[in-house]
Amino acid sequence: MNFKRNLLLALTALLLGGAILSYQHRPLPSPVDATWADAQREAERGGYRLITTQELAARYQQEPHSVLLVDTRQDWEFMSGYIQGALHFPIEPTWWGRWRAEKPLLALLGPDKNRPVVFY
Amino acid sequence: MAVQLGYKNVYRDPLGYPAWQEQGLPVASSPREVWETAPAPPGPVLGWSLLWTLLGVFAGGMALNLTPCVYPLIPITVSYFAGLSGGSRGRLLAHGLFYLGGLAVTNTALGVAAALTGGLMGALLQNPFVLLAVAGILLVFAASLFGLWELRLPHRVTQAATRSYAGFFGTLFMGLTLGLVAAPCIGPFVLGLLTWVASQGSVWLGFAVFFTLSLGLGLPLFFLALFSGSLEKLPRSGEWLIWVRQLMGWVLVGLAVHFIRPILPEAWGVILLGLIASAAGVHLGLLDRTTAGFRAFPWLKSGVFAAGLLVALLLVGSWALRGPGVAWQPYSEALLEEARKQQKPVIIDFYATWCAPCRELDDLTFRHPEVVKKAAQDFVMIKIDLTQKGDPQHARLLQHYQVKGVPTVVFLDAQGREITGLRLVDFLPPDRFLLRMVQAQKSEP
Repeated sequence: MNFKRNLLLALTALLLGGAILSYQHRPLPSPVDATWADAQREAERGGYRLITTQELAARYQQEPHSVLLVDTRQDWEFMSGYIQGALHFPIEPTWWGRWRAEKPLLALLGPDKNRPVVFY
Repeated sequence: MAVQLGYKNVYRDPLGYPAWQEQGLPVASSPREVWETAPAPPGPVLGWSLLWTLLGVFAGGMALNLTPCVYPLIPITVSYFAGLSGGSRGRLLAHGLFYLGGLAVTNTALGVAAALTGGLMGALLQNPFVLLAVAGILLVFAASLFGLWELRLPHRVTQAATRSYAGFFGTLFMGLTLGLVAAPCIGPFVLGLLTWVASQGSVWLGFAVFFTLSLGLGLPLFFLALFSGSLEKLPRSGEWLIWVRQLMGWVLVGLAVHFIRPILPEAWGVILLGLIASAAGVHLGLLDRTTAGFRAFPWLKSGVFAAGLLVALLLVGSWALRGPGVAWQPYSEALLEEARKQQKPVIIDFYATWCAPCRELDDLTFRHPEVVKKAAQDFVMIKIDLTQKGDPQHARLLQHYQVKGVPTVVFLDAQGREITGLRLVDFLPPDRFLLRMVQAQKSEP
């Protein structure tokens, strides 16, 4: 009884450890490798639309302030250069980071819910 | 995310900045002044990590109540409170608060003292001999917890400490002296905490940590005193307390190894810690024959066994599975010349194997995938090992770059001149390090 329990717990510990390790070292899809189709699928799930560089550039050159550009990359990426006029709003790509960003994002985007917003 | 917030026209540009820049569309970068005055890295423990640390300390303080020096005191303290207050809840509460206050004063004074001497202790803590000595002391304490020898305060001190004084002053004094009475048991834990606080060198942190510890230590007593009636429900003091002692003994052994890790070869430290964790699990969970009068105890033991295995597995596993690090090159004038020709900035890392922040830089920052990638693409990375003294070339370099200690990370711009504002003399997490790398790249002639 005692032996059984210890064996069971040891196995659980091994499984849990293995799970944690493989989760920590899971292969992450890097944004560079992701195809347009991948992004499209993700966008459909998230309920937003995709915009190509050309489309965005066309809008931007017509009237730079017609779209609100939000740069969600990390500090150091923003520092090395960003689209002119974009606002910097770093969001960590984790559910925790997103949850924390919710309120400040609302303040950043303003009350006009119809204003076009482009994240990158 | 903005969709959930109710915005209708939400787009994502998956190609983002790189594609935009490639097409020559208007871009901007932060004005240099702004990011050059970016705030210096604050103390290493802040925000959420501080909260977690304090929670851990609080839990540690509560756990200390289970050690054999404190646990037997609980009934005494509670009956003392009950006797003093004469049944009045209000007075009982006041006594409890005084007690907590006294406890907090003793401990906090210790913590602040450690933080104030922090610079000194911090410097000392980098010395391999001091590390060995600290580890030795921890092991001696651990031996005591394992029951190999008995640590006792002189009888007179113990007596004076428990003597009752009338009134609230008496309660305060009892709190003040609980720290002393309990020292043999909680000493090792507190000592470990003290050295840690000293190594952080922040008075505020010292205060916060030890105040929290006192709260954790005093709170259960405080509540028991308030609800004296429930005292009978506590498990009886007995054999199982010895088991708790041994558990803390193992924690100390682990701590000792942690202290000497900087002077061990990297693999050894990890493997040794893993071995200790599994040995502790096997000893406390399987070999130990201690029994206790309450039902949860066998489960507790099995739980400790499994936890030991889990910790060992995670330690060794995450060490074995970690990704590649930055590819460093040894120092040479030719390499610097080459970097100037290619217009590449240079990062020179002065380090020594026994220095803990250097290890941390190596393990976390210089293994971060983005850092590794950027270093390989745009930088020349040079590492200089200062572990062995007396190399004339190193002496010249130390003189040239005014290096006062390790770690020192020097950033050179594409022309080979140092960007003094970026120099690092402590651990820096990967995202902040990346920021510095970007700044080094953009530094204009």
